[in-house]
Amino acid sequence: MLGKIFGIISILSLFCGIILGHGAELGNAVLDGAHGAVSLTISLCGIMSLWCGIMKVFERAGLINKLSRLLSPLLKVFFPEASRSGEGLGEISANISANLLGIGNAATPFALKAMEKLQKNNKNKKTATADMITLAVLNTASLNLIPTTIFALRRAAGSESPYSVIIPIWICSLSCSALSLLLCSAMRSVSKKGARGDKNA
Amino acid sequence: MLEYISSLAIPVVVCIAGVFMLSHKKPYFESFIEGARDGLRTAVGILPTLIALMIAINMLNASGITDLLAAAISPAAARLGIPSELIPLLITRPISGSASTAAYSSLLERYGADSFVGLCASVIMGSSDTMLYVIGVYFSSVGIKKSRYAIPCAVAVMLFCVFFSCLLCRIWFK
Repeated sequence: MLGKIFGIISILSLFCGIILGHGAELGNAVLDGAHGAVSLTISLCGIMSLWCGIMKVFERAGLINKLSRLLSPLLKVFFPEASRSGEGLGEISANISANLLGIGNAATPFALKAMEKLQKNNKNKKTATADMITLAVLNTASLNLIPTTIFALRRAAGSESPYSVIIPIWICSLSCSALSLLLCSAMRSVSKKGARGDKNA
Repeated sequence: MLEYISSLAIPVVVCIAGVFMLSHKKPYFESFIEGARDGLRTAVGILPTLIALMIAINMLNASGITDLLAAAISPAAARLGIPSELIPLLITRPISGSASTAAYSSLLERYGADSFVGLCASVIMGSSDTMLYVIGVYFSSVGIKKSRYAIPCAVAVMLFCVFFSCLLCRIWFK
């Protein structure tokens, strides 16, 4: 996938660069890109280490468990199949808690575990259930309380107030998560009605 | 005031971890070191990918395609209040985390982290995730072929996210 992206972008850039008369800049762009990636990593690796370390402490202290227990009553509304069977709800709330705390590395394994459990009660193994879709769509709208990567990159780019975006990010990511839950619930009932209509026909 | 409170978010979290370490119930400092080592490994581990993608994004910017594309969509984007400079970020965000990090950081370098474009990019980056990647990995992990309405819903949420981020920045950073 990334190979294709790299291939398409580099070929397109070379051709268009020459045609548009920016050939000379391309050479510098490659050098700057290689350098930029290294300095980007340097500006990120400190805060990433710190955050992963702190989150490991929280994980060991049982904070993810506590948070997911707090969240589970709310989740029952949006994941009715999982809450009926009892299968997968724990993993779903652990996934959301890990996302909230900004531990992306822990969130994905929880989500994959949840998918596995949801698949157990799936009648048609090739087709996604409504709960699975809700989980996937919810994960595409990242709900993250402290987006450390963004602060680090803003600071590295010379921002005087790297934290100024935190509240807009909260508002926006909350709205996006709410929207994805609402859309998925709406689509769930629409497709249920559609299925019933098919049977009648 | 809000600025001050939000800049305390990270120090407060660090301090909570410090309180756990003082409690001596478990070897919390060792947990910290273990987690930090993993974090460092991840950060350095993505460097080769990042080098390739950063070069690609830089070439794209230097070749003038980005500006051409931006000029092409700018009338439509302007009507929605979306700066057309965001194009490289908007293209890469749904596909790959490394590619969008590269695009985001080059946007910040090019236009400044506190410019309107930089602020919009930060909010988009913070409230969206790599949509196609997430859906692909989740469903393929259990062998699901039909994702039904997952992609239309995710696309709708992503579009809303872009539009709402820019609107929010316009109101918030007046």
